[in-house]
Amino acid sequence: GAECSRALRPPERQGARAPPPPAASRPGRLSCSGPRSPQRPGLTLGAAAGGRGTLRAGARDGAMASGKVLYPLYQLGNPQLRIFRTNFFMTLVRPGVPQPEDTVQFRISMQMTRVDVKNYLEKIYNVPVSVVRTRIQYGANNKRNHKNQKVKKPDYKVAYVQLGQGQTFQFPNLFPEKEEAPEPGSVEDIQKQFMENERQKQTADPRRGGVTDWFGL
Amino acid sequence: EYPAPPGKMAAPRGWRLAWQGHCRLLHTERSAAPPPPLYPPVVASHTAKSKSAKRRRLEYFYQQVHEAPSIAEKLRLYGRLQRLKYVVYPQTFSLNADRWYQSFTKTVFVPGLPPAGAQPAGPGAPDLSELRSLACDALLQEHFYQRKRERPFLYREQQHVPGPFLTQLVSSLSAALGSSNPLLATSCLDLKPQVNFYWERGETVVCRGYRTGRIDPVRFQIDDEPLIQIRVPKQLPEFVPLDYSVPGEVPVINHKPDKLPLFKRQYDNKIFIGSKVADPCSYGHTQFHLIPDKLKRERLLKANLADQIEVTYRANGIASLFAWTAAQAMYQGFWCEADVTRPFVSQAVISDGKYFAFFCYQLNTLALTVKADQNNPRKNICWGTESKPLYEAVEGNNVKGFNDEILLQLVQFLLNRPEQL
Repeated sequence: GAECSRALRPPERQGARAPPPPAASRPGRLSCSGPRSPQRPGLTLGAAAGGRGTLRAGARDGAMASGKVLYPLYQLGNPQLRIFRTNFFMTLVRPGVPQPEDTVQFRISMQMTRVDVKNYLEKIYNVPVSVVRTRIQYGANNKRNHKNQKVKKPDYKVAYVQLGQGQTFQFPNLFPEKEEAPEPGSVEDIQKQFMENERQKQTADPRRGGVTDWFGL
Repeated sequence: EYPAPPGKMAAPRGWRLAWQGHCRLLHTERSAAPPPPLYPPVVASHTAKSKSAKRRRLEYFYQQVHEAPSIAEKLRLYGRLQRLKYVVYPQTFSLNADRWYQSFTKTVFVPGLPPAGAQPAGPGAPDLSELRSLACDALLQEHFYQRKRERPFLYREQQHVPGPFLTQLVSSLSAALGSSNPLLATSCLDLKPQVNFYWERGETVVCRGYRTGRIDPVRFQIDDEPLIQIRVPKQLPEFVPLDYSVPGEVPVINHKPDKLPLFKRQYDNKIFIGSKVADPCSYGHTQFHLIPDKLKRERLLKANLADQIEVTYRANGIASLFAWTAAQAMYQGFWCEADVTRPFVSQAVISDGKYFAFFCYQLNTLALTVKADQNNPRKNICWGTESKPLYEAVEGNNVKGFNDEILLQLVQFLLNRPEQL
């Protein structure tokens, strides 16, 4: 997890960006030149896929801004991946357009696939999943800041999960309107009554039919 | 005081009297025929961006289609305008597709088979043992005797053994039953024919593009390719009367078809039954479908979708048969504004090589658009069975556990004919 990667990296020096970790002793790797900023993902690692395994670099997570999060890509012959505590998370969101009753909408990490989503829900939360569909939502790049620079809204991946075994899900109303009737005799009740009376005094006579009071003989 | 409202109150007395007198004069003269109109009729505009103009254009379009000189011209005018439409695949992996397809086609699904009408005893009842031997021969030929050199590649297993077995079975059975059923003797057997149908159902608001905000009908297109199809020159008899009220409801789904998932494309609006309009065999008898590799039983069981196995059969039956019967009806000149006057009936057998499911469809109404469906109590009906195995296993050169009921049902399907014959 994150703790492991931090332990391997050399300690950060004040005022200077930390040099990248020494390249692994696998053959066929390009050597990276110059210090790399934390925002730029380790693209060289993924691009030089000559050797026995490639690592997908996913450093765009907002939470993991300081380190590169690597997802081992499964290739034939590798040991099967077993993740005990995941580095990636899913957010249940309210759908913008009405979805069928068995469909739940999530925002997931850009590196997750639909198989990952299915396994995540089934293994960790014991939720029966029939089918998952994913899409990537492009965040617009049209807004400009006070310096007239374009500000990009981040891209995100959306997963539509259809539940199995005939289960249904409805996103709950998180902020229900509470009708608080103040108990009679309390201070709030008297205040409310007084305010209502004042408001009634301010309104015009309904018999005038909406005509203002300065209009007349 | 408020001023007096403008009106007839200030009319001078003399003028009023003269006006009343003039009215009386008109009423007393009752001529025989009204004079011919001096000016053309006042109708709504043709090109304005208004609802009345849209209505006028629609009426003009319907009038053109009604007055088309031939069926081919009628079909051409009906599908002339191309717009984005949902492409409905009968063989789909979508979950619960049969309910969605029922709502698109206004079909009620009735489990089981329709009430069997008394079949007239034809010249010579078919010998079941002979037909059983034909079926076993076809089965063993594909599974055991024939040495198929290439192993099937990815997703081609169904075309390798079950496909040829079904083709052989149907051809030999229909040839053997030609003596019992004179209709089969004059039928036409198509291999992998095209069946297409285009229709509109429901309304929606266009959300993107230059036509944003306008109300548009929801358009659908089915492009189907059954494995085998039998077309006949005479129509099959109806199972139930045209206005029969079926005990069942058409499922109503209030979501957009995109949620199924269903995708839109714009291309030719084709309506085809397997042969062109001039072909004499313009009515349908039976279709045979093969379940594709991606929807096989083992794959669905492995993906934990055991309840979707029957759903795939049902969705395939409903969509394919609706497209075929509706296209047959359009070949006879009916369309959504000119509804069918007699029910159109077809049958289908859907199988994956081992499991067989039987479907019967009766098309009672083609009027599925919003305007035509307002006072339309008729619904289309689809009867269907669950999938049952024809045999248990093929071991060596003998077939274990051959199910005679499935064969009998298949034979009864093929022997179906109108009472006159």
